[in-house]
Amino acid sequence: MSGTISIARADQETTISIKGRFNFEMHSQFRAAYQEETVDKNRSRRFIIDLTGTEYIDSSALGMLLLLREEAGTNEADIEIANARPEIRKILETANFQRLFKIT
Amino acid sequence: MKILIVDDDRINSTILNRLLSREGHQVLSAGDGLAGVEMFASERPELVLMDIRMPLMNGYEAAKEIKRISSDRFVPVIFLTAVTDEEGLVQCIESGGDDFLTKPFNRTILQAKIEAMERIRRLHTELHSQKEQLEQHQERVQQELDISQHLFTNIVRAGSLLDAPCLRHMSVPMSQFNGDLLVASYNPAGGLHIMLGDFTGHGLSAAVGAMPLSEIFYGMTAQGYSIGDIAEEMNAKLLDIMPTRMFCAACLLEVDFRQQSLMVWNGGLPDLLLVDGQGQLQQRIPSNHLPMGIQSFTPDDRKVGIFELRNKTRIYLYSDGLTEATRSDHEMFGYERLERHFDGTIPPDKLFDTILAALEHFRGDAQQTDDISFLEIDCAKAGEELVGDRFSQARKTIPPTNWSLSFFFSPQLLQTVDPLPAIINSVMNLQSPIGHRERIYTILAELFSNALDHGLLGLDTRIKRTPEGFVRYYALREDRLAALDRGFIRLDLTHTPQFDDKQQKIGGEMHIRMEDGGPGFDHRHVHSALEGNTSHGSRGIALVRSLCTKLAYNEPGNCAEVVYRWTI
Repeated sequence: MSGTISIARADQETTISIKGRFNFEMHSQFRAAYQEETVDKNRSRRFIIDLTGTEYIDSSALGMLLLLREEAGTNEADIEIANARPEIRKILETANFQRLFKIT
Repeated sequence: MKILIVDDDRINSTILNRLLSREGHQVLSAGDGLAGVEMFASERPELVLMDIRMPLMNGYEAAKEIKRISSDRFVPVIFLTAVTDEEGLVQCIESGGDDFLTKPFNRTILQAKIEAMERIRRLHTELHSQKEQLEQHQERVQQELDISQHLFTNIVRAGSLLDAPCLRHMSVPMSQFNGDLLVASYNPAGGLHIMLGDFTGHGLSAAVGAMPLSEIFYGMTAQGYSIGDIAEEMNAKLLDIMPTRMFCAACLLEVDFRQQSLMVWNGGLPDLLLVDGQGQLQQRIPSNHLPMGIQSFTPDDRKVGIFELRNKTRIYLYSDGLTEATRSDHEMFGYERLERHFDGTIPPDKLFDTILAALEHFRGDAQQTDDISFLEIDCAKAGEELVGDRFSQARKTIPPTNWSLSFFFSPQLLQTVDPLPAIINSVMNLQSPIGHRERIYTILAELFSNALDHGLLGLDTRIKRTPEGFVRYYALREDRLAALDRGFIRLDLTHTPQFDDKQQKIGGEMHIRMEDGGPGFDHRHVHSALEGNTSHGSRGIALVRSLCTKLAYNEPGNCAEVVYRWTI
């Protein structure tokens, strides 16, 4: 059982919303969601990962976020993780992901 | 194709023989069922044309026998029949026939049937060989997995002290290989090093990463490296070998039972729980580092937390597989269910078993979805291993003697290498007082980083209070270090043995003097700025002050003098 992904693209900003369970089964879906935007390395783009409807997140999902960060330019990447529920926020903070992403 | 005709009617047999020979087939003939079966066994034809009514053995029986002796391959049997009644045809099929041909023979139909059978036969052969290949492959894979598991277990568990009386642990992999790594070993200074690592994912890929980590763990622990050093080395190794999306959440502990102290490096594992002698939660130690294998260490990444242990303290460490264990309705075991055991109602020595039983009961027969590890360290039992043989062998005591050493570092050197490990190793190789290594390490490391960061580079730790400032601090540090063209760091260390009234050596005293060529910095300020901020900065001078007998800064503040005493 895994979640579903929806994507909204605005001018400079891509919002990826994940509903349900964000786990290893989402790998190819999640990658497909951002890959188009990260192909052009010169184009700067903002990513918002909206976790409003996310019920669960596992370490493979954290790995996917790291992959996105790398493909979007590592330290130059502008990625915001938004609206995580408290349990998920705790998982992100245990991994100290606030040092790599903007968590709002 | 090699075709066997079994027919007692010579005319029929001859007609068929000619027909088939003309098509290029190799044809054999038998005059009755029994002779047919015998010829089938000796000649191994690929197709059989079988008459029904024959002497000695009829066609039905002969077909059954042929099918029986050729069960490992597919040999089509086509009945030659004058019978057109359903009953007879059913009997043909029941005795193993694959098709039938009614007399008199039509050449075209005969050819078509033989070709169709040939196609089925080929398909059969192919399927059969594929099945065989698959089975062989599966067997080989399983054998390789078994051997790998054997190697893996021996490498990862080599010399591990997980059976020490003060440790209780449970580690349940969800597949043949465990993605959780749990290892323990004594360092030469007598401290117990323990590590729990949890790799992204599970199974073989996770286990492969565990092997270099366990080697680093045992190797560096035996050489007296601090858990901060070990974490840094492991991080570098994992950065090297692992794909971006894989990392290892890990917690390294050094339990020093003599000094009653606990050192913790926690990157991404759940809170470490300290429980007191009444079974009540006394303190939690949260993760304050990134997991290993994500990015290179900054100097702060190697910092360890130091905590006081009491005699009856129990330490609990677990991987998230425990709290995320799920029962059939998708409800998770959770932190709350785990921590409710630490309310003082359960006798401390029953805690470990009670929690395991609660987990078991909670999960029921739901499928395990992650590796689960759970560890208890009972500080009251720590002494039991201290008198054991293995422990005596593990440490080597050098009697306290007189020695001194000096280091002088120019800006050029400071720009190219971090001299700290060289300092530490020199000191440790000369005198490694049991149970004092981490402390001496901490003192030297703090004094050195203060001399460099504040004394020479003029950095202000207050910048580090926010996450953005944290990054800025290190960017600034890098810039200023690159531009550094004056000043120096000088370290003088003198060790003298200490005697009791009867002139017996009872320990030693270290005088440490760390001088930098900078204008001096306000150490009182550094001290107070750091006290309220333990998350991102060091506790710096406050920490050093708590560890040693005496700490004094000169005016203007570019030279620190420390006295550290230790006893055997």
